[in-house]
Amino acid sequence: MTEPLLRVEDLRVEFAGEDGVVYAVDGVSYEVHGGRTLGIVGESGSGKTVSSLTTLGLTRRQGARISGRIMFEGKDLVALSEDELRRIRGNDIAMVFQDPLSSLHPLYKVGRQLTEAVRAHREVSKAKARERAVELLDLVGIPDPARRVDEYPHEFSGGMRQRVMIAMALANEPRLLIADEPTTALDVTVQAQILALMERLQRELGMAIVIITHDLGVIAEMADDIAVMYAGRIVETASAARVFAAPEHPYTWGLLKSIPRLDGPREADLVPIPGTPPSLVHPPSGCHFHPRCPYVQPEHTRIDPALEPVADDPGHHVACLLESDVRRRLWQQLGAGRTPAQALAAVSPGAPA
Amino acid sequence: MIRYVIRRLLWGVALLIIVAALTFVLFRVLPTGNPAVLRAGKDPQPRLIKEIEAVLGLNKPLIVQFWDYLKEVFLHFNLGYSYYSSESVRSLIAERLPETLSLTIGAAVLWLVGGLSVGIVSALRRHSFLDRATMGTSLVLISAPEFWLGLIFLYLFSSDIGRFKIFPGAGSYVGITSDPWKWFTSLIMPWVVLAAGSAAVYARLMRGSLSETMREDYIRTARAKGLPERQVVRQGVRAAINPLFTLFGLEVGVLLGGTVLVETVFNIPGIGRLAYSAITSSDFPIIQGTVLLAALFIILANIVVDVVYAYLDPRVRYS
Amino acid sequence: MKSIRTAGGAGLLAALALALAACGSSSSGSSTGASASGVISTGGFQTPTKQSLTGGKRGGTLEVLDESEFEHLDPGIAYYSLDYEVVFATQRPLYSQKPNSTEPSPDMASGPPEITNGAKTVTVHMKEGIRFSPPVNREVTSEDVAYAIERGANPNVANPYFTSYFKSIEGAATAKGGPIKGIETPNKHTIVFHLDEPKGQLVADALVLPLSAAVPKEYTEKFDKSRPSDYANYQVATGPYMLENNAEGKVLGIGYVPGKSATLVRNPNWNPKTDFRPAYLNEIDIKVGGTKTVIGRQVLEGANVVENEEPVQSIVKLAAEHYKSQLEISPGAGSHYIAVDNKVGPFSNINLRKAFWAALDRTALDKARGGELVTNVATHFIYPTINGFEQAGGPAGLKVDYNEHPEGDVAVAEKYMKLAGYPSGKYTGGKTLQVVGSSNAPEKEDAEIVNQTLEKLGFTTKLTLVEQSTMYDKYCGVPKEEIDVCPSVAWIADFSDPQTVLDITFNGNDIVPIDNDNWSQTNVAKLNKAMAAAELATGKEAQANAWAKIDDELVEDAAAIPFDWDKQANIEGKDVDGVGDLWDSGEWDYSYTSLK
Repeated sequence: MTEPLLRVEDLRVEFAGEDGVVYAVDGVSYEVHGGRTLGIVGESGSGKTVSSLTTLGLTRRQGARISGRIMFEGKDLVALSEDELRRIRGNDIAMVFQDPLSSLHPLYKVGRQLTEAVRAHREVSKAKARERAVELLDLVGIPDPARRVDEYPHEFSGGMRQRVMIAMALANEPRLLIADEPTTALDVTVQAQILALMERLQRELGMAIVIITHDLGVIAEMADDIAVMYAGRIVETASAARVFAAPEHPYTWGLLKSIPRLDGPREADLVPIPGTPPSLVHPPSGCHFHPRCPYVQPEHTRIDPALEPVADDPGHHVACLLESDVRRRLWQQLGAGRTPAQALAAVSPGAPA
Repeated sequence: MIRYVIRRLLWGVALLIIVAALTFVLFRVLPTGNPAVLRAGKDPQPRLIKEIEAVLGLNKPLIVQFWDYLKEVFLHFNLGYSYYSSESVRSLIAERLPETLSLTIGAAVLWLVGGLSVGIVSALRRHSFLDRATMGTSLVLISAPEFWLGLIFLYLFSSDIGRFKIFPGAGSYVGITSDPWKWFTSLIMPWVVLAAGSAAVYARLMRGSLSETMREDYIRTARAKGLPERQVVRQGVRAAINPLFTLFGLEVGVLLGGTVLVETVFNIPGIGRLAYSAITSSDFPIIQGTVLLAALFIILANIVVDVVYAYLDPRVRYS
Repeated sequence: MKSIRTAGGAGLLAALALALAACGSSSSGSSTGASASGVISTGGFQTPTKQSLTGGKRGGTLEVLDESEFEHLDPGIAYYSLDYEVVFATQRPLYSQKPNSTEPSPDMASGPPEITNGAKTVTVHMKEGIRFSPPVNREVTSEDVAYAIERGANPNVANPYFTSYFKSIEGAATAKGGPIKGIETPNKHTIVFHLDEPKGQLVADALVLPLSAAVPKEYTEKFDKSRPSDYANYQVATGPYMLENNAEGKVLGIGYVPGKSATLVRNPNWNPKTDFRPAYLNEIDIKVGGTKTVIGRQVLEGANVVENEEPVQSIVKLAAEHYKSQLEISPGAGSHYIAVDNKVGPFSNINLRKAFWAALDRTALDKARGGELVTNVATHFIYPTINGFEQAGGPAGLKVDYNEHPEGDVAVAEKYMKLAGYPSGKYTGGKTLQVVGSSNAPEKEDAEIVNQTLEKLGFTTKLTLVEQSTMYDKYCGVPKEEIDVCPSVAWIADFSDPQTVLDITFNGNDIVPIDNDNWSQTNVAKLNKAMAAAELATGKEAQANAWAKIDDELVEDAAAIPFDWDKQANIEGKDVDGVGDLWDSGEWDYSYTSLK
């Protein structure tokens, strides 16, 4: 494996909240490789956004307590000064946000917002920067870019706006693009266009992408590698193929099973994950997932599972206390269409203690 | 845009007519002094009062009086003559307009600059000692009556009766053309007094508006682009300032109609004082003239604010 | 005339400022009250009766700070005391009062008026060599005086005194500004008034009014044609000073800027040999506006500056304590009394009126007005400096039991309540008293004290406080409103004739439907007849006795309850040698004032 472009090591981010400390990110580690796309998937409140904001140091202002390391090109981003980080933002690492209408300044023309992204990091004349702005708009597929560069964000449609955001992020050809729910606010058809755009740009510019989403469909489309987050922790990471074919964590199983399938029987019920996401102020003891896990055992409430590699694939890590072969068999059952309760019953007739 | 402005101006004229009508009715119907009676002095034989009413034109039916008045105002720009000095209301107002303008504009600049800068600093350093100190002071300044504040300043700083003889005292105002330095120094205290309350209001508003704005998503984007913090703040201020601008425009419009209390305390012969003394002596033509002027300023201010706001906030242009 | 302008613009908010200005002025007036000998005391401060009219230094410019605006500077209209400061420096009536006296002296006249023909003819001879100021420049003649009076009847001028004092001139009743039959000018320096009724003394006394100041007809006619007359803005002068004007005679915008200033300069055509005024000052600059609390301080701490209105109480106290030599107290600044409805309602009963009089604490009412420094307890209606004051009982007044105790006497009050038909000593009738007072300080405090007194007597009251002019115009001055008690009415005489104190205010024939000044609606046939007769009294002595008798009757009738004989305080800067006019509440007279 080549050296990863970005390596997050045991990242913890805490906020002082009204009811107590919020453990938003509770020991998270993952890697991003150049030219590949990592998809981080999880529910809201899983800590996926916070961890990526923290990468760019954007949580520092909110009084976050950060520990752990984020290694990027040999530097620990957690330890960098604000000034040094600023040089990386929008330059080496860029970010695209969820709602392009609120994420673009409503009172400045799009061209101005693009040129300032360029001139923040490069000594170029206004004229040259403007040329670049038009170039960028063209790059992201906006028609008539020379005219539209003088328009305001509200004069663009939702999809176009997101293209503008992407153009802005790409202004300085970053090596890593972090996209936080980039298509969630868009129509389904537009979604597809945006994702296609991002893939094309990745090929053309050779950059790594971290795409954060709760939408497994997007993950399926874009991700080369996947990290599954739950309640501030990574519960599983592997290549996309592995995660869809042979997931090893009960939460991942729940996610996959809750996708409606066109090719399934019409009367089949969706199988949601029971329960609600936990509080990050008072997270469950031991395995964070145990209150909702159909296969929970008593000791799971006490022991924190660590991310460990799976036997037959060193690139696949999972944080679960169940035995490996138990997991395989459970997945087999689920894959055959059994409910979790049935699967459990089938796998443990003698109830492993 | 031009059509929009013209339409607003026409509405403005209609509004002025309504205001004139209201003033007309108010002062002739409600219990204030009857100017004929006031002029009749102490021997109000009914015959004398009737004669004076005839001379002042008060004996014609209300509608006729009003119609005559409208014709004079809108066709000849003649606002009538004072019942007392017989001077033309138009020239009385024109004489005093420079004073009111001097006072209002100077104070406006002061409170805008002062209020906004304090507000910005407070927003960026919320809950710091500086923030609490300025917000506390602003509360005091907002609550302080202008009259009282003016007197305090005079008793402390005026060169004739103050403890520390720094600024010229009440009554030392001169026009800018006769003595620019004296004009300027005599206005410093009135400016501060007039600006104090407003500056405080703006500081608080700016603090709130900017605090909110800095939490917006586009500020996060600006930071994520790697912009220096100063530039990020400027983007925030640019967005935060819009609601304040509306307020500013309207406030200046209102003040141009007269700032009675400050003019009285510092003895600046502006429109406010003219209006006040006209009211106490029931000098209807002056009252009507000053009310119309005040209404005109507010109407114009509204139009200006709307037009400029469309310029300031491009999103508004489509509606 | 009504003593209207007291608290002026200061009002409520100045009360806030008073808290600040009053540092160091806590103790009440330290001056003594009326001394036993009957002379009204002025606390040892400067007073008009005791000032020197000669020996001042020539030259200099006096600055005057007035909070209020002028009303009418046209001598044919002026009646507001602030207007007088300009009018009496620039216009010379036939007769004038010197600052230390209320006796008229010949001014444009060359000698006293000749009242003949059973008081139906008044003849006045005029001095020669008196000239109008530029641009008229020519000598003043009797025709100019005739025109001055005749224009008073012109509706464009509408002199407020014309009907009261001059209607007895033949032809005056129907005059509208044209020549009046009864005013004859046999030669250039003689004017003769022929009257319908024997009111020669009244007409002669009224010749101190500015209405008799000469006005040049050929110059003024055109101005008198505008509605209202424009003469004020182009006026010429006969006095030692004139309002600054341009070559065409225009004063407006030059010597008089409405709402801002008035500038008096020397009248180059004034001949000092024809005038008893010394006219020391070169120029008088009057500045209008501001607020009295600040003006007071500017004057006390200033040098060549005066205030020509009554200062506010806090400033008077400040002056009395720290600027004693700059304070002047003048008696005879009018009186305050409580009018009660004699015609309808509970106070149509004379015994209730007497009970009320007895129950009132007049010293408390006076304390609220500033105490002994500026008030005296009033015991009858003719006030100090008015002819007839002594004859009407002087400071002590008529000796009746309800008048004896200025602090109020509960026993006497009870006595009269019982006589009125309330054996318990408290009112038990059903009527709620309508009490309307002025919301200006200190009238407000007085109204409260009056209200409490009424409640103690068992009355239920509805107390309404309104702006002073509204009080007069809409309530107390409108008989139809049937206001039972008006605690804030005040009066000041037009000149020293006691008729000008008692007639309009207590003569039943003078009750009018609006702007009525007989607030008590007193209408006693006997008294009306006595007043008609007293109007005809000739000679100061006869006048004094006749009206003093009427004053006594009014006290016996308890027609109204007097409580304050005002003394007015006036202040000057430290370098001003001010001379105040006794007949004008001690306000500074620019023809006599000089700079040190």
